[in-house]
Order: sequence, then C-alpha cells, then structure tokens
Amino acid sequence: MLGRLALIAVSALALSSCDGSATREIRVVGSSTVYPFTTAVAEAFVNAKSGRKAPVVESIGSGAGIRRFCEGIGAQFPDIANASRRMTRNEFDRCKANHVDEIIEVVIGLDGVALAESNQGPKLQLSKKDIYLALAADPKGQPNTAKTWKDVNPALPAIPILVMGPPSTSGTRDAFIELMLEPGCKEAYPDAEKLKAGVDPAPYDKACRRIRDDGPYVDKGENDNLIVQGLAQNPNALGIFGYSYLEENKSRLHGVPVDGVEPTYDTIANGHYPGARPLYLYIKKRHIKAVPGLKDFLTLYTTMWAPNGPLVKRGLIAAPDKMRERMAERIELELALDPAELH
Amino acid sequence: MTKPASPAAHAPERQPTDWKSAAMQKRIRRRYAAERRFRMLGAGAVIVSAAFLAFLLVTMVAQGWRGFTATELALPLDLKAAQLKVTREQLNSPAADLALASGGLEEAVQNAAVTAFGPDGASFLAPSAWVWVRDAVKRDPSLLERRATINVPAATGFDQALTGDGDAAMEAGVARLTRQNAIRRGFNWTFLHESDSTDPVAVGIWGALKGSLMTMAITFLIAFPVGVLSAIYLEEYAPKNRWTDLIEVSINNLAAVPSIIFGLLGLAVFLGTWEIGGRVYGPMLPRSAPIVGGVTLALMIMPVIVIASRNAIKGVPPSIRDAALGIGASPIQVVFHHVLPLALPGILTGTIIGMARALGETAPLLLIGMRAFIVTPPGSFTDPATVLPVQIFLWSDEVSRGFVEKTSAAILVLLAVLLAMNGLAIYLRNKFETRW
Repeated sequence: MLGRLALIAVSALALSSCDGSATREIRVVGSSTVYPFTTAVAEAFVNAKSGRKAPVVESIGSGAGIRRFCEGIGAQFPDIANASRRMTRNEFDRCKANHVDEIIEVVIGLDGVALAESNQGPKLQLSKKDIYLALAADPKGQPNTAKTWKDVNPALPAIPILVMGPPSTSGTRDAFIELMLEPGCKEAYPDAEKLKAGVDPAPYDKACRRIRDDGPYVDKGENDNLIVQGLAQNPNALGIFGYSYLEENKSRLHGVPVDGVEPTYDTIANGHYPGARPLYLYIKKRHIKAVPGLKDFLTLYTTMWAPNGPLVKRGLIAAPDKMRERMAERIELELALDPAELH
Repeated sequence: MTKPASPAAHAPERQPTDWKSAAMQKRIRRRYAAERRFRMLGAGAVIVSAAFLAFLLVTMVAQGWRGFTATELALPLDLKAAQLKVTREQLNSPAADLALASGGLEEAVQNAAVTAFGPDGASFLAPSAWVWVRDAVKRDPSLLERRATINVPAATGFDQALTGDGDAAMEAGVARLTRQNAIRRGFNWTFLHESDSTDPVAVGIWGALKGSLMTMAITFLIAFPVGVLSAIYLEEYAPKNRWTDLIEVSINNLAAVPSIIFGLLGLAVFLGTWEIGGRVYGPMLPRSAPIVGGVTLALMIMPVIVIASRNAIKGVPPSIRDAALGIGASPIQVVFHHVLPLALPGILTGTIIGMARALGETAPLLLIGMRAFIVTPPGSFTDPATVLPVQIFLWSDEVSRGFVEKTSAAILVLLAVLLAMNGLAIYLRNKFETRW
C-alpha cells in the first residue's frame, strides 16, 4: 500500500512538472462585463482549428484582474487582462515594478450602462439631475429624504423610488457613478465644482459619488439576471446593468430615457446616451512571442468586433471605424502603451 | 377491593381510583391529546422537510427538463453550388478545420438557411450551426459534391419561441418552419458530451463532469489513505497523553473550518511563489487544474475521514483484537486482517459522505482559479478544468436566457451524481456490515 502511495506521489510530481513548458494555453483574467466577448472569441478560436489549446478565461472583476495581470512576466501569470475601465497610473506603476512594462492597450468597443424598467412599468422619463437627487446618499450635502419620484421632481409620478443595481465591487456601478451620478451632481449642485477642486476629496465624494443605503437603492449582487428577475416581479422598480442584458431581455424590459435619450445601440454608439464607456484589453507584449496563438487570438478579436460581427450580436457596441482601425494597427505592430496617457 | 372496615378503627381509607369520574376522564383525554400532538409535530417536521425537497426537485425538473432536449432544423444544403475553396486532399490533412473555416463554409451555411427558410433564415440557426456542418463534411467528404439535408441546432431565440416565450419575428419563423416540417425535437446528446460554450444550444456538461471526476480522483487518492492511516495510528498505536488529546481536538476543529479557508490555504501554498536566497520557487502546481483542486479538497475532507474512521475502528469489539493477539497475530496483522475489514463499512460511509461534500464544494475552487471558461474538457490532471458546482455558478450568471434551463439541467446532473454516491455508501454499508 505504501509503495503504491509513493508511486502516486511521484507520478503526480512528474505530471505537475510538465507545467511551464512552451505550449501553454492563453490565459485571460478580469472584468465580468468583457467576459462574454472574450469567451466568444475564445470559442471561435478553438472552433477555427481543432486541436488548439482552449484559452482559459476567468471573470474576477476589472480591479482584481489587473492586479493579477501585473504580478509578473512568466508562464504562471495571465497574458491578457479584461477591463471595463481604463488602467490607472498607479496600477501601471505597480505593473512596472514587477517587470511588466510593455503593455498593449486595446479598446474592443463600447458598453452602455442602461437604466431599464419592466414593460408593465410606469414609463418614467428621467434626467441625470433626477437620478442624482433620487439615488445619492447626500444630495447637495444634505441627507437624502426623497421617498417617491415626485419628491425629486414634481413632474414625475408619486411612486416609491426603488432601483436595483450592482454592488460596490462592480465596474458597472463605478461607471454608473461616473457617467450618471457625477454629471447629475454638477447640474444640481453648483458647489460641486468647487468641492472637486478642493484639496480634500472627501466632501466631493460624499456629495456626488456615494449611493444611498437607506433602502431605495437595492444591491442585487454581481448576478445581473437577478436584477432582470426583480424587475419582472416589481414593475415599479428600475434596474441598472450593462446594455447587453437589456438587449437580451427586450421582450420583457425597455430602457428608461435619460435626458430624453433612450438607451439603444445607436444612441450609445454615437455618444448621445450618457451611459457609454469603452471596454479594454491589456496584453503583455513579451508574452506574444512566448505563448503560441496569442497573436492569432488577438487578430481574431479584431475581425469579430466589427459593426456586423458576432460580438455586436452579443451586445457589444462597436467602436467608431477610425478607432477600430487604430486598434487593429496596435495589435498588428504590437505598439505598447505610453504611460503618460494614463492618469 | 376490601370490605369497608368500621369507621372508628382506621383513618378514612384510600379510595380506589375512579377511572369513570369526569375529572379522571378529562386527565386521560389530555394525556392522549398530548401524545397525538407530539406525534403530529414529528410527522409535521418530516412533512416540512420533505416538502422543501419536493419543491427543490419539482422546480429543478420543471425548469431543467428542457435543457435535455434540443431543437434542430433540417437544413437543405447544396455545397457544390456554393463552390467552397476546399479540396479533398485538404480535408484529409490536419488543417481541414482551417481550410473549411477560411473556405467560406460559414457563409455557405447562412446562405442555405436564407434560401430554405426565408430572408431572416440565418437568424434561426445557432451560431455554432456551421461547426455541425463542418464535422458532417469531415465525416463524409462527398457532401461537398451533392445536395443533402443536414440537421443543425436552432438558435436559442427560436427554441424559446417554440414555447411561446420569444419575440414576434421568431414566432413567425416557428409557424413558417412548422408548415415546412423542418423542425426536429429530440434528446440533447450535445449536452452530455460537450463542454462550456457561449451559446446555450451548444453547451455541454461533460467538460465540468470530467473535471469533477478528475478532481475527486485526486482528492480520494490523497485523503483516503492519509485519513485512514492517521485514524489507525491514533486508535491502535498512539499513547493516550496530552499530545494525542491535542491532536484530537485539532482534528475536530479542522472538520468545522469553513471551506473558503482551505481555498486561501491552497492559493497560498500550492499556487504561491517564494523568493529564497535570490531564487524564486513555485508555484508547485498549475492554476485551475484538477490536481490543485483535488489536493485542496483533500485537505478539507481529511478531518471528516479521520473522525469517521476512528469511530468505526472504535466500534470493533476489543475481544476480536484480544483473540487475534491471543493466537499469536502481530499488531499489524491484527489491524489489517481483523480490525480494518470489520471497520470498513463505517470508514467507507464516512469517506463517501466526505467526497460528496467535496463534490458540491465551490468556494475554495473559486480561489484557485477553477472558475474559468474552458471550451474543451481537460485532457490530463494538469490541464485547466472546471467542476460541476462552479459550472452551475458560471451559467447562472450568463447573459443569454437560454442558460436558465441549462443551469437547472446541470443541477439535475449534479444531484444525480450525488444520489449515486450516497446510494453507493448505503450499498457498501449494507454489504459489509457485520453484527456481533
């Protein structure tokens, strides 16, 4: 029995030492918003030529993904980071400290942060100011007491404010704050600019960036399907999620117009709808030579993100033509990111 | 009953209990009522737990049975007219996939759908439909030179329109194709032999099931021998002193430690790197692989196996040991010839319960990277893999609505595997059980 055990232990060690050899699969980590697009490309990559090693795509969130991406160069570190926001200067510096210096940044397309309600809903028409006054923890520096939409804007119906959205760890929520809450704050609260220019960021964060936690905003967790189900059960509620979920559930939900603009493919692509954000891939240039197929994978990505391509069918909003050309060129020529662009 | 004595001689004699009196009848009724209440309370508890189980099973089966069915469309194809830029020689070479993909097969399939099913015909086909055609062509290259009808999977939206839950365009398509008699429904074999996919009609559970089986194999190979040997040592050889007491308390504590802690341990020990004297060591095991998942889960269920095995060994009567020693057996012969075979049913039951727990575990595996999207099943213990509960977790988070039924179907597969394991535990216990 002991002999057999030793045999197993030895063979296990021999197996594990196989790792780190030259033929490693492509490894991608990061944002849950970019995940459906990267997995679609990964699938097409394997389908195009069977026998290729299947890329491994992990959805762990933009921040955590960039942190793992930046841990170092080598077989045990990921090749690509998915991100639903741009890498910050701090993150780049941490990368550089770990010898991850030549990074290629690619915008794969746009995503919209959509506000939606059930088809049986009250058909609200909101402005960014209404959203800010209804959802901020301390609008204009005072604790939020609004209970119904009528309290926020007398033109709106007197139904209770109930908005379901993602938790504070989510990139979608960060984007919502940045694209809807902060502009609304600047419209509604003249002192906001002054606060932002101040030395201490805390008062600005408190007035413009914090979402209320006294009930009207319901944190539904990272699973956006729960928000969709919640909206179907409660027609008076609103939901916040990525545009792809709205697209997928068109038969049950419709977008809420913000400042008179409905979230549709066109309004997000041309920038009229306020909740549009770019989605990024970060690639280690030094891994392109070491990992077989990585360049092919990226080239396949560029063919799939076109306006009539398969990624758009999955809810991605294609970037403008000029930008797509520039991004394809970045991949073709392996142009690394200039850190001076980040902030 | 005695005859009443004269009242002067004794104090008033004790009256026999009058069972017929109203007060006594009331007390008897209360006793019986309390008995009935208690029995009903117990039965009620059983009914409530059975109702929860039934509710779970009924919802899962109601949502999940459709996950085991597939909708296919009979697509008439004329690949000769499509004039693909593919030769027969290419089809026999390893580059056949690439040749067919770049030779315009995908467009040819979409054009065929438009010809057969109308202008929006291409939207009725699943995105992976051309892969089916590709595999059919590889099996039978003569398809390139003739007309044929091939069954290809229908799009998710089309499948939903069949149940009356789709949008208007798809509903119209369903009506038209029903008239053309082009819709086939059948058992979804794809679900049983494919892996993860972004398209709900093309997903399968096999990749996750194989990952689970490989992880369980590693877990068993490590946890079972180590757990049983520790139990034998602690019960049969170790002296009873403060140190063995300490070990016993630690093992009991370890069995109650939340599983996420073991995930963090696995992440730090097996996937961590150390810099010692300027050289970087580690990671010991590859990320996301069944081997690292299996080792981590083995750490988690080892205490459970040790405790179960110790109890089973304790249950073997000392007389059997004494008898064996008395006729000259050595301690190791006593253990392996007598104690272990008699304790085996208990040890196996404990092990299988531990393995069932490991099979349903998600939290520690998320930390060591077994939550990834992987299109192919793992080929070896060091290949990236995912496991059943993590696959369920991943699908529950998918955008496409077709994944709802696939999630329930995957839960049914997990429940079936668990049921089989628990059934095996009961069978083994009954087969090897000895009564003294």
